[in-house]
Amino acid sequence: MRRFTLGHIAAACAAGGIVLAGAMRADDGVARAKKLHFSSIIIDTHDDTTQRLLDGKFDIGARNETGSIDIPRMKAGNLGGIFFSIWIPSKITGPEAVKRALDQIDAVREAVRRHPRDLALATTAAEIRAARREGKIAVLMGVEGGHMIANDLSVLRTFAAMGVRYMTLTHSGNDEWADSSTDKAEHNGLTDFGKEVVREMNRLGMIVDISHVSDKTFYDALAVSKAPMIASHSSCRAICDAPRNMTDQMIKDLAAKGGVIQINYHVGFLSQEFRNAERSDPAVNEAIARQVHAKCGDDEACQLLEGDRLTREYVAQGKLPRVDWTKIIEHIDHAVKLAGAEHVGLGSDFDGANMPFGMEDASDLPKITQELLKRGYSERDVQEILGENTLRVMTEVERVSRELSGSAQE
Amino acid sequence: MRRFRAAVVLLCLSATAILLSRPSAGDALAERAHKLHFSSIVLDTHDDTTQRFFSKDFDLGKRNAEGSIDIPRMKEGGMNAIFFSVWIDGRILGPPAVQKALDQIDMIREAVLRNSSDMELARTAADVRRIRAQGKIAALIGVEGGHMIGNDIHVLRIFSDLGVRYMTLSHFYNDEWADSSTDKPAHNGLTDFGKEIVREMNRQGIMVDISHVSDKTFYDALEVSRAPLIASHSSCRALCNHPRDMSDDMIKALAAKGGVIQINYEKSFIDQAYKDAADKISGGVVAQINQFEKDCNHDEACVEKKVTEAQRQLTAEGKLPRVSWERIVDHIDHAVKLAGADHVGLGSDFDGATMPEGMEDCTHLPQITEALVRKGYSDADIQKILGGNALRVMEQAERVSREMLAEQRGADRQ
Repeated sequence: MRRFTLGHIAAACAAGGIVLAGAMRADDGVARAKKLHFSSIIIDTHDDTTQRLLDGKFDIGARNETGSIDIPRMKAGNLGGIFFSIWIPSKITGPEAVKRALDQIDAVREAVRRHPRDLALATTAAEIRAARREGKIAVLMGVEGGHMIANDLSVLRTFAAMGVRYMTLTHSGNDEWADSSTDKAEHNGLTDFGKEVVREMNRLGMIVDISHVSDKTFYDALAVSKAPMIASHSSCRAICDAPRNMTDQMIKDLAAKGGVIQINYHVGFLSQEFRNAERSDPAVNEAIARQVHAKCGDDEACQLLEGDRLTREYVAQGKLPRVDWTKIIEHIDHAVKLAGAEHVGLGSDFDGANMPFGMEDASDLPKITQELLKRGYSERDVQEILGENTLRVMTEVERVSRELSGSAQE
Repeated sequence: MRRFRAAVVLLCLSATAILLSRPSAGDALAERAHKLHFSSIVLDTHDDTTQRFFSKDFDLGKRNAEGSIDIPRMKEGGMNAIFFSVWIDGRILGPPAVQKALDQIDMIREAVLRNSSDMELARTAADVRRIRAQGKIAALIGVEGGHMIGNDIHVLRIFSDLGVRYMTLSHFYNDEWADSSTDKPAHNGLTDFGKEIVREMNRQGIMVDISHVSDKTFYDALEVSRAPLIASHSSCRALCNHPRDMSDDMIKALAAKGGVIQINYEKSFIDQAYKDAADKISGGVVAQINQFEKDCNHDEACVEKKVTEAQRQLTAEGKLPRVSWERIVDHIDHAVKLAGADHVGLGSDFDGATMPEGMEDCTHLPQITEALVRKGYSDADIQKILGGNALRVMEQAERVSREMLAEQRGADRQ
């Protein structure tokens, strides 16, 4: 893929007299892409930077050598709205899970308190637009895994009150009330309590996120939810057959109810070749896991970053295939062709996954805009993918919440 | 002593009967008191009604036969601002304590939402004034015991963001970082982490509440806190020698730093004879409470109801002396004489304590205003006691918070 791209450019350059005109057109394209990108609201619905915020040494206000997200790089990439993920492993449950989720929620809120000139906490689409007008980055939160509510709707409401605007129904393991795509089916989708959780999320104005959940949980949630849903960070199974990705049918069904699939940049979800290599040689992943553990112990922020770094080392050594950032575009394009540009968005998984080459951090985001324009996407379509679709789902979720709250009070 | 007290009670009760009816045209003082009371912000800084929110039978919006607080009775008593207490047993610690506290905070928020035409959650003194001006009741949240943060400063900040506006540093038992007045000293007051908690409360604008804490913890907190403190529900030890009450020196020291003592109406905190009699049978009372805990399956509202019934029975049997609501006024007056009217307020402990006769519920609050009028208190002083002082401390806590956040931003920029 990369080689093809380079060849293409070389061929264009070799074409003598056309070069100047071609370059001008290319410059026009770059300028147009830049203008569009930097005048759009760009929202990323999934970033695992929260783990780093809990580490006293990390300064989100400074440009960091490691990881993908900090204020300078978000500005460089014009990332206008970011969902910080609240995540703890599925195996931690009950009050301990609740308390650790609160720690992370506070870490996000504290980052906003400490950087009031650059960051603004947002809980609605209108607040994201307001933050943008003030030149600030809108900070949002998503809880990545229903296990963190500890089977307690009061905790769910607390999360909502603290600004959490989506909850992924499961993480990698099943909850007590929802099956995960990467665990053994146990509840046949959502339990009755799970459905109650979805309804309460609708009432609270919290987006139902179906990344990570089993296909049956997805369809159960789709049937129960009165508001559109998102997949906050999932890609297309037709291109890369990972259970974490969505089938074409799921993408179409999600879209039919107004939802959005937010494409995940993780190489293992983007590239079948990468996934095959990982699966054909499990020793590679095991070795990475061992090295990560040896360096990081239980420090989850360290694990996430070190995993990405080591994966790149293995790619450099030829032990894993190299995946380029343009693979992201393939997934966007596939989903757009299936469901329309109104139903696709960005959910990078920055600071929580292995990024493809050329998409090392948030400063690389303008490339996506440029590439989509190059492929003939309209400016309107590009803006929808960059953030407007997410804003639309939020607005719709807020409307449903008002309706449900209103009827409850009458 | 008891007989003497009973005689006083009888006198008081007949006086109460007169006060309860609307003032007669000829009684200028009663007229003035009524008018004053119902035009004031009446803020009670401690009510345990939260425990009742867990019962399906309890409806905050309807008049209840039991307990002391609901919206109809608050309206009748002119009580237009209330701190709902978040409380769990001090022996529950760590993450389970955090989750239980969240449950109660959510119950309060949900109860307020369900009654949004009459009540609104307030976070600031300005909110309280605005909500009052709209003819609604301002609901506030206080966490009664530092054990509920699970030794985690993040949780303290989450409480603050959820609307918690004071935290009592301990309850009946020591925290891991603060000694209680009713436990064996373990930390010689506040630990270093306890001091950090106080500073973070200042930064968040959460009032530091020193009810329940040991004397040493009080003095430590007073020294560390940049904002004035409150005792959300404590009375005067000079009148009733109970460790839960404050000594004259403590009241003066609290006031010297701008703080307020919010008088608690619990009989054993306001009446020495009652406390002495209760102490004599305390083994029995403790055993009985433990039995109630079992009978009620730890439903605290149920325990509270049984305790109230039991003490009524003991009083009827003559084993406990009767206590008149006028003792509350004695405590107010004592504290005012010590520290001035700028440093005294109301922290009833309704729905969490045994109320004196004539103060069974919040409909009786106008009696306090009238008693103070009759004692010659000025309207301005009475309004301060009814709520103005607590609002002033809130405002100061807010100001300190703003200052500390601004200082920090300055430091972060450097």
